[in-house]
Amino acid sequence: MKKVFLYTILTVLLGACNVLNPNITDDVYVGNSGATSSWVNGLRRQLALTMNQVVVSTELVSDDYYNNRTLSSKVFDIPQIDYFDLDVNNLQIQVQSLREMAEYGLNKVLPGDITTKAADSAEVYFSLAFAHILSGELFVGLPGSSGGVVLTPTEHLNLAIASLDKAISLLPANDEQTAYILLKARAYYSLGDAVNAVKYANIAKAKNTLLRQVKYDGTNGVSNDMQTYLFSSTNNEFAPLPRLDFLDPKYYHTGLASSDQKPVTIVKGEEAYLIIAESQIAANTLDAGRQTLKDLLTQVIAVRPVVQLDDSKETRNGGNRTDYPLTAVNVKFDASDSTRSNYVLNRKAGTISAYTVSGTKVTAAELDAAVTQDGLLYLLYRMRQEIFMAEGRRMTDLGIKFPVSQTEQLNNKNVKDADIKAQIPSFIPLARGMDDFTYDVANGIVTMKYDMNKVLVANKQAKEIFPFIN
Amino acid sequence: MHKIFSGYYNLFKKLFSLKMRITSFFLLFSSVLSFAASGSGQSMNEIKVSLHIKDRPLKEVLNLVEQQSSFIIGYNRDNIPDSNRISYSADNRSVARVLNELLSAYPVMISQVNEKYILINKLQQPVVLTGKVTDKTTGEALPGVSISIKGTSSGTATNVEGKFSLRLPQDREEGILVVYFLGYKRQEIPVNRNTSALNIALVVDRMGLDEVVVTGQGLDISKRRLSTNVVSIGTKELDQAPSGRLDQMLQGKLPNAQIRLTGGQAGATSIIRARGVNSAFVNSTPIIYVDGVRMDNLNTASKLGGGSTQGAAVSAIADIPLDNIEKIEYINGGAATTMYGSDAANGVIQIFTKKGGADRTDITVETQMGVETPTADFLHFKRTKDLLFQNGFYQKQHLALNGGKDNFGYSFSGNYSNSKGVQIFNQNSNRRIDFSSGFRAGLGKKVVYESSFTYVNNNYKRNRNGNQGGYTGLWFAESGASSITGPKFSPVIDTLSEASYAKMKAYVSQAERLQDNNIAVNRFQTSQVFKYTPMKNLVFKATGGIDYRVQKNQVITTNQYLSFTTNTTVTDQGSVSNADRKYLGITLELNGQYEAKAGDFSFVTTAGGQLFRNEDQQILYVGSNIRDGSRIITNAATKTSDEYFLQVVNYGMYLQENIGFKNKLFLDMGIRGDGNPAFGKNIGIQYYPKVGISYVPSAEPWFDAVANVLSSAKVRGGFGVAGNLPTAFANQRTIAFSGYQNGQAAYFGQPGNANLKPEKTQTAEGAVDLGFLHDRILLSAGYYHSTTHNALFYVPATPSSGQSQSQLYNVGRILNRGYEFNFVAVPVQTKNITLRVNASVNTLYNKVLSSGGVAPFNINGFSARTIQTVVQEGYSIGFLRGNKGVFGADGTLASTTAQQDLGKTIPDLFGSFGLNFRYKNFELYANGDYQKGAYANSFDRQFRFNYGAGNEGIPQAEIDKNKRTNWLNFTNMFTEKTDFLKVRTIGCSYTLKGALLNNKVKSVTIGFMAVNPLNFASSSFDPEATISGAAQGQGGATTGGISYATYSSPRQWLGSFKINF
Repeated sequence: MKKVFLYTILTVLLGACNVLNPNITDDVYVGNSGATSSWVNGLRRQLALTMNQVVVSTELVSDDYYNNRTLSSKVFDIPQIDYFDLDVNNLQIQVQSLREMAEYGLNKVLPGDITTKAADSAEVYFSLAFAHILSGELFVGLPGSSGGVVLTPTEHLNLAIASLDKAISLLPANDEQTAYILLKARAYYSLGDAVNAVKYANIAKAKNTLLRQVKYDGTNGVSNDMQTYLFSSTNNEFAPLPRLDFLDPKYYHTGLASSDQKPVTIVKGEEAYLIIAESQIAANTLDAGRQTLKDLLTQVIAVRPVVQLDDSKETRNGGNRTDYPLTAVNVKFDASDSTRSNYVLNRKAGTISAYTVSGTKVTAAELDAAVTQDGLLYLLYRMRQEIFMAEGRRMTDLGIKFPVSQTEQLNNKNVKDADIKAQIPSFIPLARGMDDFTYDVANGIVTMKYDMNKVLVANKQAKEIFPFIN
Repeated sequence: MHKIFSGYYNLFKKLFSLKMRITSFFLLFSSVLSFAASGSGQSMNEIKVSLHIKDRPLKEVLNLVEQQSSFIIGYNRDNIPDSNRISYSADNRSVARVLNELLSAYPVMISQVNEKYILINKLQQPVVLTGKVTDKTTGEALPGVSISIKGTSSGTATNVEGKFSLRLPQDREEGILVVYFLGYKRQEIPVNRNTSALNIALVVDRMGLDEVVVTGQGLDISKRRLSTNVVSIGTKELDQAPSGRLDQMLQGKLPNAQIRLTGGQAGATSIIRARGVNSAFVNSTPIIYVDGVRMDNLNTASKLGGGSTQGAAVSAIADIPLDNIEKIEYINGGAATTMYGSDAANGVIQIFTKKGGADRTDITVETQMGVETPTADFLHFKRTKDLLFQNGFYQKQHLALNGGKDNFGYSFSGNYSNSKGVQIFNQNSNRRIDFSSGFRAGLGKKVVYESSFTYVNNNYKRNRNGNQGGYTGLWFAESGASSITGPKFSPVIDTLSEASYAKMKAYVSQAERLQDNNIAVNRFQTSQVFKYTPMKNLVFKATGGIDYRVQKNQVITTNQYLSFTTNTTVTDQGSVSNADRKYLGITLELNGQYEAKAGDFSFVTTAGGQLFRNEDQQILYVGSNIRDGSRIITNAATKTSDEYFLQVVNYGMYLQENIGFKNKLFLDMGIRGDGNPAFGKNIGIQYYPKVGISYVPSAEPWFDAVANVLSSAKVRGGFGVAGNLPTAFANQRTIAFSGYQNGQAAYFGQPGNANLKPEKTQTAEGAVDLGFLHDRILLSAGYYHSTTHNALFYVPATPSSGQSQSQLYNVGRILNRGYEFNFVAVPVQTKNITLRVNASVNTLYNKVLSSGGVAPFNINGFSARTIQTVVQEGYSIGFLRGNKGVFGADGTLASTTAQQDLGKTIPDLFGSFGLNFRYKNFELYANGDYQKGAYANSFDRQFRFNYGAGNEGIPQAEIDKNKRTNWLNFTNMFTEKTDFLKVRTIGCSYTLKGALLNNKVKSVTIGFMAVNPLNFASSSFDPEATISGAAQGQGGATTGGISYATYSSPRQWLGSFKINF
């Protein structure tokens, strides 16, 4: 009897102490066959999340979009970029996650899995490179390793080029390889290295409709945040600057939002033309530059898809601004501009044209009329803005860069005081000026407070912008 | 692939499904039982003898039986004289039969004591002790008084008339009758078989020195011996409180703890804290036990379960069984909770349920009915009340049975309550049904078995609160969001024309009506206790029990609702979202206590082991694009689901020694060791020591000289350690997975920490308890100083590490210190009149001494640019942090500085007060509490400014210049002091006794109670309704501090009618 009693107690106690972690620990994961495919897919997912943060944050900072409601950042529109702002921290978490995941993949996961293929390695190197490109383009500086020293944008871009070289070498000649080559051109562009940028842009240009996108998955919680803010949420949180109204929305859903999450483009053929054109204009070979841009209109943008979309439930007003024009009105890019039509759409009047890849209102005639470097630079940057709308590129064109965040600074001794200050060029108007406009209801004219492309050209010697000029 | 906690990887694992565990658990107790019963190796019923005797002395015959059977037979010669001679013949008959036949002529009882001994005792007539227990001062009969015979399993309780009857065990000539009732001095009365009807008058024990407590001690011990304080609340006091939920019931009743309900919606969470906030990681809610069984005490949002729980979570405390309570004990952390180990730094509340009453069955029927009215004191717009609120009807029906006979007692209670709630369309209605039963039985002479079972069914509705986005009633009406919602209105709703207001009212009415959020809880709880008293001074207790709670949280969002509230046509966004949470907690505890005396010294040694295991499973299943009318997700176009699973297991052993000298000086020492798989692999068993001294000068002979003034006194001091457990599995580094593009996607999960251990709060405390003028005035004054070492902080991931999840590290150090005063006075006490007043004052100083270099992090609030409550070195936990704006002479914003300290959310002074007045059978009572020195932000005001619903004190010049764009740049302008004084209950009752009612019924009580009648606050908003949603998630620390679209607790005006049969 005593034995039964003791045995019962022992059974109860030992059994009750037995606890299973329902999750997977890293030592269980690494070294297992098939780990690579899940890690590479995880990197794709991470890239999607990274692009969410990049697109949403930088589009708000830029003159493209402003936040009309209370969700998402309320200060990036000013633009106010504080090192202690959680959104500032979130952006680097997402960029650094991509980099660390790529490194963990290269060091731990891929070597431990016999099913790893060259294409897997190439994609991981690409992910690493892309993290470094974002680090270089979006930040004044960012550590290049866990708790490591803060690398300059130049250092990041050089690391990106090195990783892209590895990725390119692992792939046969295909679209994916071409995309990596164009990314190399972009990295050289950001470095201000026109020779190499043009060299690789020319290679990529051969594939003029090149398109590399990141995919979203609404049923698994990886929604395209920009799509949510532009279209899918009940109240559309973000509103475009009225002169860019015709380009909105780039992302939309039909049917159920969760099952229709549009991809975000990270590499497209247009960029090869834009890089080549900018090098030509910077070098004052204006005719060549003009021709490249005209080719871009006819050879690329003209063949990009345009879909007819019912956007009648667009709710521009009811948030922070209540004077957004809801009918087709004329616009002036700034007070000194002449009126232009077809920039603001009447969305209740029927379907609208949605440019899912690229759209622009810059015409060949306007290009022909531009005969000075400034005139062409102005149109080039307008085209860059319109083509890259809602893709997270405009902030870099404006010369704005994020600082290292407070969380990083507090846990990383390598972060210096200079690293925690955002770069906002002196010519950037503050107090929400970039997003500001007035609406003359009586005459049906919306006037932007600033034409930022004009401001850029007026400040073309500023070191933060125009990498081929400065 | 599962990762198994290696220390317990054994063959039992496979065998050990949950069912098996429960079966084994009951086996354990049956084993305890059988252990206590006599052995069965050799029975006098089985052993056979043969005898052929003629006219021999009986003694000789018994010797023969002994020789043949190897039994030893004991008897008293007085009962069987030597001279008796007998003739008898038997072949191969059992010893039992032979003895019975031999002794048939004598009044004796034959019993086998163990394998060897048989005893022959004189058979005695059963003696029943009867009596009546009254209050010595008032002469009032005391029901529910515990009556027992020391060292036996015999026990009962007095009935409504104060009467009892109890059988003296047959084998006893005499015994000691122990009479004990909470709030009275314990009496021990020697009784014997000739004792006639007893009239026992109990003396009120205000100081409670000889009160017996259990919580924190393992087994019964008198307060005199303790160096820490234990607060006990008895039935009488509990009857004078709203009976809705435990925390509400205790509001204003615990002198040194503060309880604030953070919202007025059914099931709202509460903030309960005593000695400050000792953790930046775990919620300050005490651990709650019912009859020794640990309850689910989740008082924050759960991990999964969005919808109506977002920001205004569902509290598991709202459905802890409340009826049938005999008493509640509360200990507030420090040395008092050391014996609870890793789990109890925030204190322990223990509920003891009724286990039976007197001989006759007492039946109590009570009906409580009344009106609930909205607390509109803090509404900004006059019309809000009309827009969103209604008067509700409340009723509660209660039936209780108590009874017993000798060693058996039983108790049953059934309740039905229904509240329509104060929000229109009954969107906050609450219906609750519960049943509970308790049993006590003596099993044999040495074992007492006690059990309790409770079932609670709680259903309530909740309309959307401020954190859900889209239309929410209070945000719409009070925060100015009406200007951007639906058809859009002017947000200054008091100035709307009648026509516009009618339109708004119609809109709100429809928007509220179309909401459909339900929470249903089913909870089953049981406790099984065996007490075994092998010797008078030794007692063993085995406790086991289960708390099983299932919560379903359903949010139905129809296309009609979305279309209506957004003023658009929505046809494909209807959804049904279900969040189920299942909690299973198992508690097992085995302990023993030995009392010894040596000269002037007395020793109480307690040792035991405790194990608890919780499983928390949460499942979220959502159907989207579902047609209006569907209440299950089966009909949805898209279905998604998620799961969360947590297992917590903690095992601890403890040893406690209490040494007394001459009943006046006591040394209390103890240690507990805990193991837990949540500790990192580099961490072993964690130890929690305590030591304390209690000195009772009033037991000194010289004290008589001052006794006329200072009637009793106790000085106590101690040091103890208690802990908070880290989250289960938080030590392990994990890889996380989810689906992505039809494949498996892996990424970094939890960073992991091999050095994770519990945070430990070390408390040093000292106090004096003084009673003046025959204890008519009681004063307790104390000081505590507690430091939490290795405080657990959720350290945000360093971005460059690539991790995105915060990880728990033991990096912080937190200080709490304060004075605790409690004052009770009974200025009048005569046969007909009693007046009693009480008040408590507590100071509190809280500071994060060190954050170990970790970046400040928020525990509540919104984004860093708006308002957050933050943990930061050098500040008090949960201080308000936001943008501080300074206005220039011209009235426009001159500068704004981000991340500034805008005030602390923890008060530096708090306390409670109460009053009881009795005139004959009429009683009047009131209680309340207060706080001072804390701040909170009104995000409602901030929104009101933003949406132009008010200027909120912002200079006109600023509005003229910058409009309202700077609304987030001077958050300090919306932060207010939250000093308050709230009267929680005022009530009265009148009791008619049996004699007045021709003895058809024993008594009738008519009562009236006002709940939350009076609020006085320095803030423009309800200082209590400050959302407690912990940013750190389930069970996270929170201090409130942000008032935003939250309902205040309603008022209740209740009448009650109670009959005892």
